Amino acid sequence: MNTRLRTAFLASLVLLTHSQIADAHIVSARLGDFYAGALHPLMTLQDVLIWAALGLLAGSISAASGRWLVLVFPLGLCAGLALAAHAGLGTPSPLIDAATILVLGLLLVAALRIPVALLCLIAFALGVMRGAVNAGELLPQTDRLLYAAGLASAGYVVITLVMALALSFRRPETAAVSSWRGIAVRAVGGWVAAIGLMMAGLSLAP
Amino acid sequence: MTCRKIMHSTATIALFTALSASPSLAHEQSGVGGGLASGLLHPLTGLDHLVAMVAVGIWGAQLGGAAIWVLPIVFPLVMAFGAVLGILHIGLPVPELVIALSGLILGLAVALRVRVPFAAAAGIIAIFAIFHGHAHGAELPGSANPLAYGCGFVVATGLLHACGITIGALARWPGGERIIQGVGAAIAALGGYFLVASLGVAA
Repeated sequence: MNTRLRTAFLASLVLLTHSQIADAHIVSARLGDFYAGALHPLMTLQDVLIWAALGLLAGSISAASGRWLVLVFPLGLCAGLALAAHAGLGTPSPLIDAATILVLGLLLVAALRIPVALLCLIAFALGVMRGAVNAGELLPQTDRLLYAAGLASAGYVVITLVMALALSFRRPETAAVSSWRGIAVRAVGGWVAAIGLMMAGLSLAP
Repeated sequence: MTCRKIMHSTATIALFTALSASPSLAHEQSGVGGGLASGLLHPLTGLDHLVAMVAVGIWGAQLGGAAIWVLPIVFPLVMAFGAVLGILHIGLPVPELVIALSGLILGLAVALRVRVPFAAAAGIIAIFAIFHGHAHGAELPGSANPLAYGCGFVVATGLLHACGITIGALARWPGGERIIQGVGAAIAALGGYFLVASLGVAA
């Protein structure tokens, strides 16, 4: 009996050490299209980078200016998705993606006080662009409303969380951009711009 | 009896191990995860790059003033410009030599507490940044996700600068300056070794 117990214990131990990720959730079952819309941008590095940089930019300006993006950016995503699905709006070239990342990074580095209207315009344009890119996953059988709801929710959550993080990090809002917290945000902007520059080079490579 | 038990246990373990085997991923990494890992590890696994990046941070902290904040913001951009040159296969003269020289010169600057005008320091560092970036760009792994590689490479470089600035902050404590100068001397010695090695290869 002792031998069997020991064997069972060792076997369990070996099985435990070989445990792997279970891929058995409800993504492709009920509400699958909602999850598809929410997860697709989060699995794409370009989306993650652009969304996070936009949230950081909004948070580095002020809460009063940034809170508009919570509404404007998800609306832009839905508009882009609708335009791609119905009007055939194409996906931008990798060079435009790279230029977008570069410009967002440079805006963060410069620590400019961008007017609210311009910030909203930038956010809406980026939303339309990324919404159109994410429309590439739409299939004839996809429930477009659920997919759009998922995409907009993901956009809302990412922008809100990153902006809130940036705002609480920069607190107090009136602190000079030359304080170490302001410099840290600008340094991250420098990283974002550097990544954009590298991407531009890669898209131009033969 | 004991031998039989051991054999029994070993056979069971072998059976379960064989049944739960998964594919081995021991070659060049691919995809987003692979690109990120390659980019993060590239500046860390090349000692010549690593010491130079840390030295930039320490020197910036020693120079103080604008240098301490301009360097971490602008350096990644200049380095990315060098990476673009590498990606586009635009050659630079004697890259290995200049990279080795960067460790030696920056290490000496830290060890001897060399103080130069900010513009001169920025110029020296910018030249070295272009060469380091060029090496990273030219060595971009083919199968890795390029954007992920770029993210990893830029973040690793930025963190190495932060590491250097933190070492530079030791100057606030008694004896800290001596430690910094010692680190600078060690970096210069490594740079000298790499310089001799690259000259040996070139000869």
